[in-house]
Amino acid sequence: MSLIDLLRTALRSVSANKLRAALTMLGVVIGVASVIAMLALGNGARAAVDATFQSLGANQIQIGQRFAMDDGEFKPLGKTLSFADGLDMLSNISLVERVEMSVSKTVKARFGKNTVEINAIGTTADALEGIASSGDVQPVGWTAGTLLTVDDFIGEGRLFSTDEVYAGAPVCVLGYQTALDLFSGDDPIGETIWVERTRCTVIGVVAELESTDVQQRYRSDPNEGLLMPISTVIQTLYEDEPSVYMVVHVTDVNRIDEAKEQITNYLRERHQVEQDADGNYLDDFDMLTRNDILGQQQEAAQTFSLLLAAMATVSLIVGGIGIMNVMLVSVTERTREIGVRLAVGAKQRDIVSQFLLESILISASGGVAGIVIGILAIPLAAALNQGVALLYPGSIPLAFGVAVLIGIVFGLYPAIRAARLDPIEALRYE
Amino acid sequence: MSDATKEAVIRTEKLTRSYSMGDNNVIALREADLTIHAGEFIALMGASGSGKSTLLNLIGLLDRATSGEYWLEGKSVSSLRRDELSDLRGRRIGFIFQNFNLLPRLSAWENVALPLAYRKGQFGAQNQLALAREALSRVQLDHRTDHQPMELSGGERQRVAIARALITQPAVILADEPTGNLDSKTGVEIMHLLKELNDEGRTIIVVTHDSNVAQYANRICHMRDGILTEGDSVHVAH
Repeated sequence: MSLIDLLRTALRSVSANKLRAALTMLGVVIGVASVIAMLALGNGARAAVDATFQSLGANQIQIGQRFAMDDGEFKPLGKTLSFADGLDMLSNISLVERVEMSVSKTVKARFGKNTVEINAIGTTADALEGIASSGDVQPVGWTAGTLLTVDDFIGEGRLFSTDEVYAGAPVCVLGYQTALDLFSGDDPIGETIWVERTRCTVIGVVAELESTDVQQRYRSDPNEGLLMPISTVIQTLYEDEPSVYMVVHVTDVNRIDEAKEQITNYLRERHQVEQDADGNYLDDFDMLTRNDILGQQQEAAQTFSLLLAAMATVSLIVGGIGIMNVMLVSVTERTREIGVRLAVGAKQRDIVSQFLLESILISASGGVAGIVIGILAIPLAAALNQGVALLYPGSIPLAFGVAVLIGIVFGLYPAIRAARLDPIEALRYE
Repeated sequence: MSDATKEAVIRTEKLTRSYSMGDNNVIALREADLTIHAGEFIALMGASGSGKSTLLNLIGLLDRATSGEYWLEGKSVSSLRRDELSDLRGRRIGFIFQNFNLLPRLSAWENVALPLAYRKGQFGAQNQLALAREALSRVQLDHRTDHQPMELSGGERQRVAIARALITQPAVILADEPTGNLDSKTGVEIMHLLKELNDEGRTIIVVTHDSNVAQYANRICHMRDGILTEGDSVHVAH
């Protein structure tokens, strides 16, 4: 029999028992939907880690102040993670190559009659390097994927130097849009602006930037804001010592855990961190490396993925057995039909194909329904997992393939049984 | 042309079929010698359990003999494998059953074309429809092409079955109690139709226990306790 004839026969037979076929599919539907959701979770976790990889290098450690909920607001714990902590870390721990530090504050900046409210970022001199390597933003018109250097980010003038950072020099570098807003197109280099109550000389303008993540483009404009030496910001814009955000670069990527331990001991000693009754340190800072993030993401996704994998396996097996059961019933019901087909010249292969195609049709339909439901269930899986889930495109052919395979594996035995029927017995069957 | 010079469509020699039932060996057909020539209309008569169905199944290639030889159109079939028997059966044998055995979900023409569907690649869909229409027209069912078996009367169903048996131009048509499920008037119509087909040159074997049916044949063979008695040719006056 031709494939089209066989397919038509299978379709007719399945549609003659729609409800039965639909109920039979259920196991495969749930199994396939679980496969889609499971792979989406894994994919989401991977994507989240990849995004973090871009902004945090393998040899880097993020350090920030630890906060705790107190009386309905987040308050910093213990001692402030200070600019001095970072500077001394560099000279005390040999594994530390350099320490990028930053603070940020919303300020009013004014030139003449023009006033803007923007984010002032106080950084060490190597701040642009961090931005350049993060991959979050790029100069407008830049070809994606091309390696960026710090110089590519400077539109006009220059960035402040390490000496200016140590000296707390009153200089600033403006964002592209901020420069336009304050100077209305005039050259700002060498001019003096007011940042709150501090006079500040403009030494450079950042190139016009765009966010590499299209969704991010509508949230905040990377061209609004200004950069100042971190020491200048701390001295002039804060009354109390602010806590800074640090990115520590380690000399040897293979000794990052060792460096982390040394930094921990250094900060605990410096901040006189106390221990609780069980001997646990009540740290007032948090540290994060790429491995930490990877571990967290994987751990979160793994438990749920395992659950889904178990669910998928069980449903697919149960679904397969259901299909086998229905096909065995179908073979029995249609014994006479098989006898007639054998009598008019059907070969064993024809009968096997007919019943196998029918079970594949049931399982593949279940597969298609499962794929649709699985895709619709991805946001739910993400919510239950408190994480990200992203449809993994390869999971669609994979899940469909699994569904077809279930139809073949569990449909084969009933099909072979049908083909082995004795034509005389089959024709006589009532 | 005399009988002797005609090629034998069916020839059996000491054809025997036995079944083992526990310790007993039941012989359903004992050393049957039968020669049937093209254009014959044979009635195979006997009580139930006499072995006539066993012989029909062997002739129809649905079963294999325990011993003895069977030549269909001069070709020995005893060494053929199951699928080879299916192929030969589909091409050279036409079956008509007592209970019609039409497939309920197929239309009349699809039922008629079923044997062609298993002849891989030889008949396209259009060709199948055309041949099925032709066969249905031969049994006066032109107007029932697209009806399902449920929508047809008993006589019409048997006509569809006859059209299905005709469509491959088989060497022999085997009819097992073809009027058993029909009222006597319809039964007569069906037997007239078979007689017409025989007059057109088709070789037909009818298994029956009804002597009214047997009278349409030009030779009657009797079966009793597994033993076949070949009858002589008779001229039937109709």
